[in-house]
Amino acid sequence: MAYKINLNIFEGPFDLLVYLIEQAEMSIYDIQISVITRQYLDHIKTLEESDVAVGADFMVLAATLIDIKSKMLLPRIAIDGTTEEDPRTDLVQKILQYTRFKKLAAQLEAQRELAALKCVKPQEDLQPYTGEPDVYLKMDMEHFIDAFQAFIYKKKKEDELRQIQGHIEREKITLESKIGIIKSLLIGAKNRLRSFRELLAPNSTRYDKVVTFIALLDLAKRGAVKVEQKKNFGGIDVSLLDTEKFVITEEA
Amino acid sequence: MSNNQNIKSAFESMMFVFGEPLDAKIAADAVGIEKKEAYDLFKELEEEYEEEKRGIRIREVNGSFQFVSYEENFDYIKAICTPAKERKLSQAALEVLAIVAYKQPVTKSEIDSIRGIKSDRVLEGLISKDLILDKGRSTAVGRPTLYGTTDTFLSYFDLKDLKELPQLDDIEDAIRDFSDFDMEAFADTGQTSFDLPR
Repeated sequence: MAYKINLNIFEGPFDLLVYLIEQAEMSIYDIQISVITRQYLDHIKTLEESDVAVGADFMVLAATLIDIKSKMLLPRIAIDGTTEEDPRTDLVQKILQYTRFKKLAAQLEAQRELAALKCVKPQEDLQPYTGEPDVYLKMDMEHFIDAFQAFIYKKKKEDELRQIQGHIEREKITLESKIGIIKSLLIGAKNRLRSFRELLAPNSTRYDKVVTFIALLDLAKRGAVKVEQKKNFGGIDVSLLDTEKFVITEEA
Repeated sequence: MSNNQNIKSAFESMMFVFGEPLDAKIAADAVGIEKKEAYDLFKELEEEYEEEKRGIRIREVNGSFQFVSYEENFDYIKAICTPAKERKLSQAALEVLAIVAYKQPVTKSEIDSIRGIKSDRVLEGLISKDLILDKGRSTAVGRPTLYGTTDTFLSYFDLKDLKELPQLDDIEDAIRDFSDFDMEAFADTGQTSFDLPR
């Protein structure tokens, strides 16, 4: 027996089993398990290259079929004379249940085709009829609290930003003017060492520290000042070398 | 609102603007009558449209009402515009939907056991299409999610309520046949002719 069947058309192991039983024109109440099991196993062989998860589901039923097949070989009359249940009973019940839903699914599809003949106007934008206030009034407490908290958070962030921006504007100082300040401070010190800290403006901000440091690096590069740091993270000593070199050239 | 004619007229206007199925309760509150009264008036209206063979009909979806076009006029609608054909549901989706619809509330493992295959992805698809939804938890071990159908499902299949789900007479017969089936006789034949492998 050679079948050429695309297994993709089967929705699951029961679908395949029902198909095989129908093809063999067997009664569902008297399935020839050995025949069906062999056909079923032939089919799932072609599944080998297919999706593993699907394959596993198909294997479960294969194992069930083999189990039933082996039980069919045993006499089913117990020693006390009572008859044991047919090993196929469970399977038959499952197949019946499956075919029932398969048929119901077909019924649903037929119903859907009929339903598709009735056209519905989708709901339009009702905004023009409701006006904006309703949109807000429809909000429940949870959404209201969320919205309020979002508002408070945004307000806080805005205030913080404004504060930072305010600082920068007030303290903004150019590199050039900072160099001028350093020069006057060093000249005022009359060649005495000055620490980096002393060059900073009182209550200096991070911005001021950065500008001062860059100004110092620039001056050191030009040979206007001597900068010394005795140890890592230690204080930085600054001393005047050449007043002339404080003049800012074009390139600086 | 004085008489029924005025109320029905109001309902028509409301349904026209609302588009989506309009809950009889909301409509009743709007005109200040009882829900039951409103429901009956909607039903009257529905009948009137039918009797007058109107091109617009009224459809009930789970106690809500909406205007729909008359199904036999579909060809004419098609002539002026092509109604966007909703993509057909896959065979797998239909199977799962049928199980949920007829057995609800139902857990995923019950669905899997009937189909003999995992249905996770199909369920997700149906949920995203708003045809089924989470209807709470089962009391069974692991408290699995129970699934049921939505009002969208009812509209999609043009059903007034779940009682209108198509039934299968032949299937009911088949089940009765099965329960009547004489297992004793069955077992006896099994005894005399073994199902031997060839």
